Amino acid sequence: MSLGLRGILNRHNALLSGTSACPGCPENMALRMLGMGLGKDVVLVVVAGCSSVIQGNAPYNAFNFPVVNVAFAAGPATASGLARAYKQKGKDVTVVVWAGDGGTADIGFASLSGAAERNENILYLCVDNEAYMNSGGQRSGSTPFGAITSTTPEGKKENKKNLPLLMIAHNIPYVATASVGYPHDYINKLKKAKQVQGFKYIHVLTPDPYGWLFDPSKTAEVAKLAVQSCYWPLFEYHNGKLEISPESLHCLDKRTRRPIRDFLSIQGRFKRMSEQDIKILEQYIDDMWKKLESML
Amino acid sequence: MMRKIISGNEAVALAVKLARVGLTGIYPITPQTTIIEVLAEMRAKGEINTEIVRVESEHSAMAATFGAALAGIRSFTATASQGLLYMHEMIWWVAGSRMPIVMVVGTRAVGAPWNIWNEHTDFTSERDSGWIMAFASNPQEALDLTLQGFRISEDERVFLPMMVGMDGFILSHTKTNVLIPNQEQIDEFLPPRRQPYVIDPEDPVGMGNIFPPEEYMKLRESIDNALKNSEDVIREIGKEYSRDINPLSDYSTLNVKYKLDDADYAVVLMGAWAGDAMEAIDSLREKGIKIGMLRIRYLRPWSESEIRNWLKDKKAVLVLDRSTSFGRGGPLYVEIRSTIGDLVPSIKGVVSGLGGVTVSKNDLLYLFNKFVEGFKEDVIWYYPREVGKIEFRTPRDIE
Ligand code: SF4
Repeated sequence: MSLGLRGILNRHNALLSGTSACPGCPENMALRMLGMGLGKDVVLVVVAGCSSVIQGNAPYNAFNFPVVNVAFAAGPATASGLARAYKQKGKDVTVVVWAGDGGTADIGFASLSGAAERNENILYLCVDNEAYMNSGGQRSGSTPFGAITSTTPEGKKENKKNLPLLMIAHNIPYVATASVGYPHDYINKLKKAKQVQGFKYIHVLTPDPYGWLFDPSKTAEVAKLAVQSCYWPLFEYHNGKLEISPESLHCLDKRTRRPIRDFLSIQGRFKRMSEQDIKILEQYIDDMWKKLESML
Repeated sequence: MMRKIISGNEAVALAVKLARVGLTGIYPITPQTTIIEVLAEMRAKGEINTEIVRVESEHSAMAATFGAALAGIRSFTATASQGLLYMHEMIWWVAGSRMPIVMVVGTRAVGAPWNIWNEHTDFTSERDSGWIMAFASNPQEALDLTLQGFRISEDERVFLPMMVGMDGFILSHTKTNVLIPNQEQIDEFLPPRRQPYVIDPEDPVGMGNIFPPEEYMKLRESIDNALKNSEDVIREIGKEYSRDINPLSDYSTLNVKYKLDDADYAVVLMGAWAGDAMEAIDSLREKGIKIGMLRIRYLRPWSESEIRNWLKDKKAVLVLDRSTSFGRGGPLYVEIRSTIGDLVPSIKGVVSGLGGVTVSKNDLLYLFNKFVEGFKEDVIWYYPREVGKIEFRTPRDIE
């Protein structure tokens, strides 16, 4: 991590050497920052996905936290049981569900929604690489309109499911979005979430070189472009109040947004998009910002 | 110790209370519902400290129960039918994690079509999941086996979860006299929880990440060994339970005999209809027919030695299944054939009582008589009443 982060770090190394992640893996980045934000006394519940593989082969484990790997749809409920048990034992443990977009938007949504409705004292992290990357890049409910995936070779025909807004609708105390391109922002949100009692949801955009088709050296750059082009909003919702994070404030005025084409053209997955398609995606982004603005 | 007239579900809830369960994941499904309702009531009245997680599905009920167990507290859940099938994935996950948990299944038919009544198919369909599987034949046994379940599953020679089956409605809702142990007895009987590992930040272990093939297979073998080892553990714990807690029942064996030792003919079955079967056997005995019964109390571990020993000199064996293994008769029939096929010249099967079909003492008397006379078919589907022709619609012709 860059020197600039030193001051805000919790010195817990979340990743040991020997992960089996691909080069340039955004989930590795997100996990390393998780350790910086939360420190020790963390238990990770990892649902099926890249992160259940990145750890490496048992009996070794490259995650420097206790990890429970569970079936796809079981993360939030397993974490509920763990969190309640620690409370009963009088232990201060931050229980984190670490799930991809498939586990969150699709198969695990009922379990996520249930745990949020019960306001369980857990932190849910969605690492969103916008497809089922671990099984070869199939579309998920979180894949954006127009993106080529291995099950939408012609480009996806539906818009991305807006999970952060759905979680706000659950009336939980804390919802935030983040991007691995902006570590300060993400780590600060993690630190804040750690102090909040009840259900916390943080959705991190994790651009994946292999599914998004860009050079693995560019992960952070793509993650920044997503924010700069206002495709991915950074905000925080705390105690019923929405606040746009500084990195995204320029998006409130359409004129100061960076063109979406800058974000689209740096990756291969949008190459089948027509002019008409780009307009549809732009409309989605406009609508999202209008919605966010109306909530301010 | 005291006696009370209660239902099977109430008996189970009392067992959960006596075991000082730390957490239970609950989701309603008939006919298990009143177990969790009674527990919620107890919690509201402050009679128990059990944490109750009211989850949004059975899949999550098992997951929440699993989570609490991982963190080191005693946990319990209950379900039935579609609910059991819905948690199937987590049932395997828990067994593969070698995590002690106790679950009660109020057995019920599985759809389609909908049917809320009793059948054992939900229960038997989990027989290869790596759980210890006991089956009660009355509310007393439901209570006793649930209590023993915590001790057995938390024994270091076992470390496997355990489920206790109980006939839906027939046992879950019928009130009978039940002997209820007192708290001191159970505190003595159940030592503090033991488990193979605890998920805790003080000891950062990883659970469930990728296992290389040989290691994975070794783990499967360890489950196989643990299940086999549990046979002795169950006898040992059962003996202690009968001695110290319920002297009226004998838990020193896995399965149960009734007038079997001198019998020429044996009936094998599992669950609540054992009561009617014993009455039918008494009637036949009065007529001089030497018939007896072997009641399966543990579907897993399957005590090959007990079953072979008890049935080896019989002329013929009849297996009653309240569940199906389509195309193969019933699961018990298949198991019994593979256990004593080389010892007993004639093994017949009857599938009946599915979806709540009532099988009375007289029906069993009729069946046992027919069996002693010797029926030709290997397995028959028995309907106690005349059933008219049922029309299933065929696909319409396409013009
Ligand atoms: S596919 Fe993507 S998310 Fe998965 S390990 Fe590789 S880079 Fe990381």
